[in-house]
Amino acid sequence: MIFLTLVLSTFREAIAKKIFIGFFAISTLIILIFLFLINVDSIEGMVDLMESSGQEGVKNLVIGFQVAMIDISYLLIITFCFISVSSFIPSMLEKGNIDLLLSKPISRSNIILAKFIGGVLLIFVSLVYLIGFVWLILSSKSGFWHVPFLYSIFWLTLSFAVIYSLIILIGLFSQSTILSIIISLFLVFIVCPVLAAREMVIFSFIENASVRFVVNFLYYILPKTSDINKISSDIITGQPVVSYMPVYSSVLFMLVMLSVSIYIFRKKDY
Amino acid sequence: MSIISTKNLNKDYPSRNFAEKKITALSNFSFDVQDSEIFGLLGPNGAGKTTLIKIILGITFPTSGEVKVFDKDISDYTYKRKVGYLPENHKFPNYLTGEQTLHYFGKLSGLPANEVKKKTNEYLSLTGMEKWRKTKIKKYSKGMLQRLGLAQALLNNPEIIFLDEPTDGVDPIGRKEIRDLLKELKLRGRTIFLNSHLLSEVELVCDRIAILNKGSLVKSGRVDDITALSNNYIFHTSDIPDDFINTLLSEYKAVIKSKNEFQFNANTVTELNDFIDYLRNRKILIHGIVREKDTLENMFISLIGSQN
Ligand SMILES: Nc1ncnc2c1ncn2[C@@H]1O[C@H](COP(=O)(O)OP(=O)(O)O)[C@@H](O)[C@H]1O
Ligand SMILES: [Mg+2]
Repeated sequence: MIFLTLVLSTFREAIAKKIFIGFFAISTLIILIFLFLINVDSIEGMVDLMESSGQEGVKNLVIGFQVAMIDISYLLIITFCFISVSSFIPSMLEKGNIDLLLSKPISRSNIILAKFIGGVLLIFVSLVYLIGFVWLILSSKSGFWHVPFLYSIFWLTLSFAVIYSLIILIGLFSQSTILSIIISLFLVFIVCPVLAAREMVIFSFIENASVRFVVNFLYYILPKTSDINKISSDIITGQPVVSYMPVYSSVLFMLVMLSVSIYIFRKKDY
Repeated sequence: MSIISTKNLNKDYPSRNFAEKKITALSNFSFDVQDSEIFGLLGPNGAGKTTLIKIILGITFPTSGEVKVFDKDISDYTYKRKVGYLPENHKFPNYLTGEQTLHYFGKLSGLPANEVKKKTNEYLSLTGMEKWRKTKIKKYSKGMLQRLGLAQALLNNPEIIFLDEPTDGVDPIGRKEIRDLLKELKLRGRTIFLNSHLLSEVELVCDRIAILNKGSLVKSGRVDDITALSNNYIFHTSDIPDDFINTLLSEYKAVIKSKNEFQFNANTVTELNDFIDYLRNRKILIHGIVREKDTLENMFISLIGSQN
């Protein structure tokens, strides 16, 4: 009950921050655009195209939309949700606020877990809304009910959760919203993509074995949200997934971040 | 029964700059708080009062020493269900209304949902916040926030209530209201732990006090005992001749209040009686002698002053 109250409070906090409302507004806009596109197309153009290219053509088009939706959702999560949740821990730690929270009958580990689960649940619900509606619209129009697209809700939530665990740790250390935002954006926009494509980007001009070792090492220990996205689209397009290593290692990263956060939070004076 | 007891509590904070050594916020602090009393912890700013409350509530950890609440070690956090707390300069989420704030913290204290609703109504009216229950707290004044904070601290029927500077930033009328509320709560059998640097306030409501300075216990006891009789005597006499007034001033260090009234400080009974004999020899008629009570303030200033 106390735990649940804390989990749900993250929802209220996110809604109170305008930035999260922005995320919902844009999601709704995307859903509306899909509705609109499909209806316009039904009159001319696209449907003719679909019919002329047969059942396969329709499926490919739907799958194309769905793969694009993963990148769109991912971008939305990064820009809106990371910024929104980055202030959760710093505002919780504010003087006069943390004192009261810690005087309540809940353990410090559970406070961190509640904040984590609250944030993850929030993004999950938002994705169910966005992806779920887009799926319904595409499916009902095309008659092609492609379930694997719905799995991307899970993969995107996982990517979010992995980075969020780092955001929590940085928040605990620095009590700075800005720092949490900068580091997490740097990681997902620059470090993850570069490391994921390290063979092409870095190794093409660096031969040095020890540098390569360091780069590989970083790749293995850091979260791999770019690779998780790739897995997510492979599942939609029906291509075989080469390796689930990015998932396992990212989950491991998340568990380490959470454990360290809990460890620090349990020791600290407020 | 003793509700709180500490033994040889020490707390050092790491220093904020490298030049200094650590900051000692509490040193060898032992005390206890009894059932159904209002206990006041007094001390100047930085004495360690807030640190003590935070240690008792598990917000800060002691460097060494022992703390027991309800006769149990505080590592088991379940005692917090029976504790209310109003932090110094508390900060509630400002997007909530007064009512939502109480609901939220009530649930966090472990109250069941239907109790939360009932108690919210009860304490909103007890603290006079009924009118503003639907108003966002970012619009509240300091006094209103403090009253809401008090309602929050009382919501879960705590057996002990910790109030850290509860009248800070509250106007005189608000202060009086808060004091009356505290007395009312005491009548209901609640134990109250009050932190304050305002002496008059503590004197008015507390049963027992401890005085803290630089982390050490300076004095503790019942307010009545601590503010015991002083060595000041007020004399009411027949008219005193001008030349004699000068003698009283210069030789006897008396404080002259009027032609018929002055204050004399006698450290022993003999000294007092010798002085009376002297007055009688000068044919001064004594109408009355009153021994003054020491105010907490005088005592506080002399105690803390002698340490600094
Ligand atoms: N988190 C902290 N880090 C370092 N020093 C602290 C911290 N909290 C309090 N102190 C120091 O400990 C001493 C006692 O502070 P405090 O308990 O707040 O006193 P009071 O409540 O009596 O004004 C002060 O010297 C204060 O500067
Ligand atoms: Mg204080």
